[in-house]
Amino acid sequence: MLHSDIKSRPTYTQLEPDLSGSQHLLIVEGDTVLPGRLDSLAGTFAPVEENLHTWLVGTQAGGLGLGKVWRLPGVADVVDAFACATRGYGIGDRLYVQGTEPFLWSVAKAAAIIGFSAEQIHLHHAGSLRRRVWCTHCHTVTEDVTTSIASCAGCHRHLLVRDHFSRRLGAFMGVMVDAEAPGEVPAVEESFA
Amino acid sequence: MSIAFKPEETFRGDYSYRNSDAAVLRFPFPFPEDRYMYSVNIEPHVRSGPSDVFLRPFDVDEHYIAECRDKAITLERDPGRCQVLPHMMMAQWDTLELLMENLSADYPEQFSLIKEGDDFGSRWTWINRPLGIEQSFIFGNAETLPCEPFEYITRQAQGDFAICDQRDDNLFMDAGMVTSQADWSLEFDVGMSFMEWHGPVPLAHQTGVFERALKYLLMLRLGQPVRRLNWTMSINPRLDTSPESYPEWGPDRASVTPDNAGQKVHLRVELQTLWRLPRSNAILFPIRCYLASLEDLARVPKWGARLHRVLSSLPPQLVEYKGLTRYLPAALEWLAQHDDGRELPVGTEPGITTLGPR
Repeated sequence: MLHSDIKSRPTYTQLEPDLSGSQHLLIVEGDTVLPGRLDSLAGTFAPVEENLHTWLVGTQAGGLGLGKVWRLPGVADVVDAFACATRGYGIGDRLYVQGTEPFLWSVAKAAAIIGFSAEQIHLHHAGSLRRRVWCTHCHTVTEDVTTSIASCAGCHRHLLVRDHFSRRLGAFMGVMVDAEAPGEVPAVEESFA
Repeated sequence: MSIAFKPEETFRGDYSYRNSDAAVLRFPFPFPEDRYMYSVNIEPHVRSGPSDVFLRPFDVDEHYIAECRDKAITLERDPGRCQVLPHMMMAQWDTLELLMENLSADYPEQFSLIKEGDDFGSRWTWINRPLGIEQSFIFGNAETLPCEPFEYITRQAQGDFAICDQRDDNLFMDAGMVTSQADWSLEFDVGMSFMEWHGPVPLAHQTGVFERALKYLLMLRLGQPVRRLNWTMSINPRLDTSPESYPEWGPDRASVTPDNAGQKVHLRVELQTLWRLPRSNAILFPIRCYLASLEDLARVPKWGARLHRVLSSLPPQLVEYKGLTRYLPAALEWLAQHDDGRELPVGTEPGITTLGPR
């Protein structure tokens, strides 16, 4: 479980079915499933299995059946699936997402666009602590950052990864670390492995 | 009231911005005591106070024309400094109405508003003489303005503006015109809740300051605006100290020496006011920025000495958060010559009515 005193970062909880919902969609980033963990999720969601869809995303998502199971190659396919959803999602739908933080917020944003409210979405952080970093200077997003200072994929400045999180961008803020004294870059630490 | 505008002064490049003697004496100096005290310090935004900047709800001063031009330059380079989420149109009109009515009532020589009615659908004519603008439009019809109403009116006002939408017992920063900010990014923060956008502020979260402030603001009433002062420091009189442009102004922080600190280091005071808006029930949050160099401030003996004492007593987390680390020692060394250790009266008033020669 991810504990944090970053005020702008949401608190992530363990997933459990919200019995006030009538349809349940569980989306799991396959890489974040520990051995045996899918069994335990299956147990947790057994009460709603009749009305449960599970989307397993990425590799090695195991062979468990949790309701109706789909397999999707990557998070982009989840976003596409939402964008193309012909079935109208409504107030009875509940969405549960497990994965790394960038995965959680990619899915949550795509779901919000088709009408899911914050109360219908439950997010559980699992797996790597890697961060998506948004460059304050050129506004490019750099994915899979595990270090305290990262090179921006857009402008190539050295960005200090600040503990300030935007749900809208699903990203942490990156600020040029050597703006005041160009070239003075502190030691890079592996902070978000 | 006539105002001697200084249309040619600049807030970038050659930084020709200067305060007249009158502007120094009306500076909203924020420190009533010798020690730094963190407080929310919210009070009613009434037409009085220890500085003339409080006399009118939206203060217009000698820097008005130059500031509006600097804002236009920043927007030209980075249009994302003005953002409005789609559900905020009603709050946009609320803001336009509030500003036009107050400016035209308080500065009739400079601004006029002619209304054929108060309601949506009425024809209004707005005249802004300092900027040479005359615009007729239909109140409530954005098509009749050159841009959306919030951008239209805040381009013609000093300072930054945010609009907070109120829902779910929370405030969400769902619109902003932000070109003179103390190092926060609207593009990053837009849409955030009150606690989220205050996330990076050190020390205050632990004491419950933000919970109390939010509770208070949720109950803010129409016609009873409130205010507080906030402050930081900037090198050079630069309005655009955004994180977006930090690579441009960051190196200036390394250029300060005990010799040049008096001219380079500026106290940056924000007069923050909060207004309930009538139709949208949103809260308008204007952030009006005042800049004065240490040299300006030290011409008021009480302020020079007090600033030296306050800056000497800052908690280290705050020094870091405000970005002062690199140059604070040089600024303190410069200020020390203006502090003879005498006892200073409590309060922020300058205590003098004319300044000695520079």
